Amino acid sequence: MRRSVFITRCSILRRRRIEELPTRQDTSARKPIRSVAVMAGVALAFASVGVQLVRLAAKHADAPSVAINAPMATGTSRPDIVDRKGRLLANDVEMPSLYVDPQAVVDRDELVEKLRKVLPALNEQELRQALGDKNRRFAWIERGLAPQVAQQVHNLGLPGLGFRQELKRAYPAGQLAGHLLGGVNVDNRAIGGIEQYLDARGLVDPVLQAQATTRPAVLLSIDMSAQHALEAELANAVTTYGAKGAAGLVMDVNTGELIASASLPRVDPAHPSANPRPEEVDRITAGTYELGSIFKMMTVAMALDRRQVTPQTMIDVSEPIKIGRFTIKDHHAASGSMSVRDVFLKSSNVGAGRLALGAGADAQTSFLTKLGLTEQLSTDAGTVAFPVLPKIWGEAETATISFGHGMAVAPLQFAAAAAALVNGGSYVIPTFLKRSAGQKVESRRVISEQTSAALRKMMQANVVEQGGTGHRAAVAGVDVGGKTGTAEIAINGRYDPNAVIASFVAAFPIEKPRYLSLVLIYEPARTAASAGQITASRTAAPLTARLIERIAPLLGVATNRVANNG
Amino acid sequence: MRLLVLSSVFFALASAVLLYALNNDTRSLEKRAQAQQRDVSTLRSDVAVLKAERAHLARPDRIEPLARALGLVPVRPSQYADAKSAAITGQ
Repeated sequence: MRRSVFITRCSILRRRRIEELPTRQDTSARKPIRSVAVMAGVALAFASVGVQLVRLAAKHADAPSVAINAPMATGTSRPDIVDRKGRLLANDVEMPSLYVDPQAVVDRDELVEKLRKVLPALNEQELRQALGDKNRRFAWIERGLAPQVAQQVHNLGLPGLGFRQELKRAYPAGQLAGHLLGGVNVDNRAIGGIEQYLDARGLVDPVLQAQATTRPAVLLSIDMSAQHALEAELANAVTTYGAKGAAGLVMDVNTGELIASASLPRVDPAHPSANPRPEEVDRITAGTYELGSIFKMMTVAMALDRRQVTPQTMIDVSEPIKIGRFTIKDHHAASGSMSVRDVFLKSSNVGAGRLALGAGADAQTSFLTKLGLTEQLSTDAGTVAFPVLPKIWGEAETATISFGHGMAVAPLQFAAAAAALVNGGSYVIPTFLKRSAGQKVESRRVISEQTSAALRKMMQANVVEQGGTGHRAAVAGVDVGGKTGTAEIAINGRYDPNAVIASFVAAFPIEKPRYLSLVLIYEPARTAASAGQITASRTAAPLTARLIERIAPLLGVATNRVANNG
Repeated sequence: MRLLVLSSVFFALASAVLLYALNNDTRSLEKRAQAQQRDVSTLRSDVAVLKAERAHLARPDRIEPLARALGLVPVRPSQYADAKSAAITGQ
């Protein structure tokens, strides 16, 4: 019943619609007019677009331009840099930078005069030049103003001046570890040091506004307390011994982590110099030096490791070594012969020369290459200075290199090699970044454990025994082993006996070393504190003792008394 | 039919009101979010300045002279002793 009613309704509706539709004749009459109108409209629209395109193409045919609407980065945000214990060394802070819109300036002279009172270091000529260019709408006046100074400028109420917040690098520890940190330019981009490492590793972000990064802090291997102690002791040594400069480092011999690294005079990372003076370079990485007798560590280790000698083997040192025009002799001539151990302790040039000549130039080159001393070293903070090697490696060079002359290396490169000799024989590339606990340290064996142990015994004897050149490096409470080096500096082609680099390399605690220290004093004077001498025994060795005495407790090195009892 | 039209109109109006309210809420939330983002940014900037100031005040170059003026000196290795060697007295 319901279905039939529904069908009836549908049929009625259909009939109505059919009746409402226009007839076939009406439709055919209207269709051509409507179609023509639509087609004409579309054609007109296309034509207008085409005409516009042709007009634009003809007008800018010879000067194409691209409108860049994408936002441009105006600064760089950098992660914090902290020491191995999380203490802040560098971070980004927001600071106002002052700019001027030359077109909005009312009185140019008034602006310059008033600004000069607030900003005494203002470059007036540059500012007047910028203000004179009416085509410019923007020119920096001073970037990274202190908030108080910015307020003073704001209070001047000069039209045309404006502030923009920017990120500026702050180094709250001042000059501490200045060489290592490097620095940044006004755009917060790195110009050296660890800052350069951050840029190279993509750890910085371009930003539109002064927006601090959310990246985690970069942990350095440096210990701020040890770094300060090293810098303070080096500065003290420069004053005490009337030296021209000093440098030093402390390294973990097992992981290669640099605990401290300093070069005096210090530099301020907040105000890096575009053209540093020669004495301002980082002597630890950027300078190469003939390091003198501390190189005998290499010579003795080489001779022991290739089983050429034992510590008790006697070496004839009665006569100087003569090779061509070179004569190698000792400062204190010894009669007869002395053991390899005594060659090390008394720092005999003749003895070291005989050991090297016995091994030969090829063996020496091969051994030094194994220790990474003949190739450029690369660390996180960049590459260190390329070692200076002899052009011809003959007998004379073999003999002189045995006691640290005729070949110059960066102190960091030497320290990495020395660390391998005392840590049991494994070479580790030095790093300025903290290694995480349990991180596997890549290393390669360069000498046997027996050689390393024998060398450590000689280093310890050199400090413990009164006859050793390093006895002034002894520290009450810590077992220290080390080697002195007094290298004459070549001036105008001749070695000057009054201009030396006094150095001392030490390892502690010497039975199972954890740390290695290397200090260098550049051109010490003959002072009362050094009993009128400039040798490392009188300068670098006491400096090492003061340094180790100060940093051993900081680094948690157990004293020999506690260690023996424990 | 009329009921259908009326209900459609009603739903259309209700939707419009609802949409307007949602739009208004969204704008308000966006404003709040922006304000909070500005606050976060300001606070982050303040934290950075405070961290730098704290580190500047605690820098070793400043602390050492103050400590020495108070008669303090760095710990020496010889000052360490084995705990077993300490005389422990007690009941």
